[in-house]
Amino acid sequence: MSNASVATKAGPPPSDIPEPQPLRKRRGVNREGLEAGRRSTRTILWILLAAAMVLYGFPFLYLLFTSFKTPIDTIAVPPTILPREWTLENYTNALGRSGVVASFINSIQTAVISTALSLVLAVPAAYGITRYKTPSGRVFIMAALVTRMVPPVAIGIPLASMMASVGLADTPIALSIAHTTISLPLSIWLMSSFFESVPRDLEEAATVDGCSRLGALWRVVIPVVSGGIAVTAIFAFLASWNEFLFALLMTAIRSQTTPVVIANFQTQFGLDWGSMTALAAVYSIPVILLTLLLQRKIVAGMTLGAVKG
Amino acid sequence: MSTRNTISKLVTLGGLCTAVALVATGCGAGGPAPSQGGSGGSGSINVLVEAGGHAELTGVAEQCKKDTGIDVNFVELPYDGMFNRLSSEFSSGNVSFDVAALDSVWLPSFKDAVQPIDELFTDDVKKDIFPALVKEANVDGHFIGLPAWTNAEIILYRKDLFEDAKNKADFQAKYGYELAAPKTWKQYQDISQFFTKDGMYGTDVKGAVETEWLAHVLQAGSPMVLDQNNNVVIDNAAHKEALDFYVGLAKSAPTGAAQVDWAAAQNLFNQGKTAMTRFWAHAYRQIPADAPVAGKVGAAAMIGGSAGVAGVPGPWYLSVPKATKNTDAAKKFVKCAYDYNSMGIDSKLGLASRISAFEKYQDQPGYESFKPLIETLNAPATATRPATAKWQQIVDTVLIPLLQKAVAGGDTSALLADAKKQIQDLLK
Repeated sequence: MSNASVATKAGPPPSDIPEPQPLRKRRGVNREGLEAGRRSTRTILWILLAAAMVLYGFPFLYLLFTSFKTPIDTIAVPPTILPREWTLENYTNALGRSGVVASFINSIQTAVISTALSLVLAVPAAYGITRYKTPSGRVFIMAALVTRMVPPVAIGIPLASMMASVGLADTPIALSIAHTTISLPLSIWLMSSFFESVPRDLEEAATVDGCSRLGALWRVVIPVVSGGIAVTAIFAFLASWNEFLFALLMTAIRSQTTPVVIANFQTQFGLDWGSMTALAAVYSIPVILLTLLLQRKIVAGMTLGAVKG
Repeated sequence: MSTRNTISKLVTLGGLCTAVALVATGCGAGGPAPSQGGSGGSGSINVLVEAGGHAELTGVAEQCKKDTGIDVNFVELPYDGMFNRLSSEFSSGNVSFDVAALDSVWLPSFKDAVQPIDELFTDDVKKDIFPALVKEANVDGHFIGLPAWTNAEIILYRKDLFEDAKNKADFQAKYGYELAAPKTWKQYQDISQFFTKDGMYGTDVKGAVETEWLAHVLQAGSPMVLDQNNNVVIDNAAHKEALDFYVGLAKSAPTGAAQVDWAAAQNLFNQGKTAMTRFWAHAYRQIPADAPVAGKVGAAAMIGGSAGVAGVPGPWYLSVPKATKNTDAAKKFVKCAYDYNSMGIDSKLGLASRISAFEKYQDQPGYESFKPLIETLNAPATATRPATAKWQQIVDTVLIPLLQKAVAGGDTSALLADAKKQIQDLLK
């Protein structure tokens, strides 16, 4: 008689091995565990997301609330988040100040020209670098990055002198060119990574169908990377829209942009927080609208590299 | 096609069209096109001015247009960026302005880039400008700037607290003299100590700005930091005495003195947290109407030490760059700014530079700060900051760190000795 038959008769022998469960039940336990794990992961992610939102959103919200405060509320000690009394006075003061409307127009002009210049130069440059992969191309893209390492003030003053000497002093074009020196390297790098993610097969197929190299770029590659172009455009636009130092050094009466006007609320003899925050809040509206309009393209652009391979 | 896509395309198209149009025209939205050398054309000049001072000259510009036919365009810049802009344009020789309003501390730095305007400093003019300002405007034997407006620190105090019967009685009992606006260091110390109670402080101590301590140095009878021969005297007895007095007030002031600057001190006073402040005179007229202290503030001349009352003036000068092609029009505008100087008093900043302009308003309600301001600016010990191009560097790298360490409890003798070495190195 085997041990097994003895055990069967006398009941199960003492053992540490758990009793086997039906397959269905075991799966149920695992699924619950997995779902619980997923729930906690999701909760942690939501908490992190909320923390990030607070971190990024709070300064803007504080700025927004301050713009509705009375003068004495803006300098309250300790500071308050919400206005004790809501007022539109700061908006009236800020928008009624001479030169504000003109500065908005100048900001738009400068940012649009700078963005257009950046894209016109960055797209072919990035395409050439990624498709031809020459040693000089690699040197060029590294050199483009090096220009970002130079403190803007070091080039701002000579650039202002150069613009004056060619008769472009105090023009949006001069400031746009200066802003392009900031945004172009970043644009080239961004566009290079987007072009890298487009399989060469697409262009080859277009060439087989009779497209020239430029035709393939225009008809096939550019539409594929349009999301990337939108992302690059947004970054170039923002770089120009918010830039202060070059605007300070290179603009006077005709082309002063809004960041300089906002800074003008801080004077040697006082700081008009209310008007400053009101104008800053208004100034952020076009960028928010632009981002919302291009949201889909931006998301597409952000995930463009994700499908590679 | 979705609406969003249509809008996106329209925005893109519109942007490109705008860009092309602007590249073609190169126009801006701000005003007339300036030619090189500054002006927008004959009969028009550009005036570079700090944002806070713009309003001071607006009325003058309008009057000048009536008198001389000169159109004035203002180039307004924030204070923090103005020095860089001036340096950039002066060094390039291409200036976008015909007149610049210069902070007094910049005069020595830009003395070679601006024209002498000696002819504007007639005897009558010199008599109507505070003596310290006449002295400061003269650099290397030539007048290079005409003061457009000036300021100085005075004492602002809570009149309601000072006039309160119980406070008066308690103060008299404790210190043996009547509670009134302080005139001496001792009185300022006593009053500060007296009002430091129940969540309130007697005064503020500003560790992040240097002017106030320098005013005390003058009150103690020494020139500020450098003597007439540019010898560094920051370690002398007067500097030590002034620093000890300054630091000693910290126990009657809100904590964190090292970080307190003008804005913070003004806020504390306007919020009713401090009973007194030593502050620029313009602040008296800028107390918000809804502030807890509105209508309850008195003004007095700056306190005095062993050398009497003294303050550090804060004037701005109108100067004409050598590179302008509109010298005549520029000088006419500077003359207008002097002739109609009192118009600045009606502006938001509410200051002038002529003694007669301040005197014209001093007895009018709302201008109670003018008499103390005149008294402080006319005091024999009042003096302007040393005329060295390195002054701003000395302030930023030596004086403010020195004060911040001192109010945090540092050894004042050692700090002053160390500061002397640093300044000597900077001036080498």
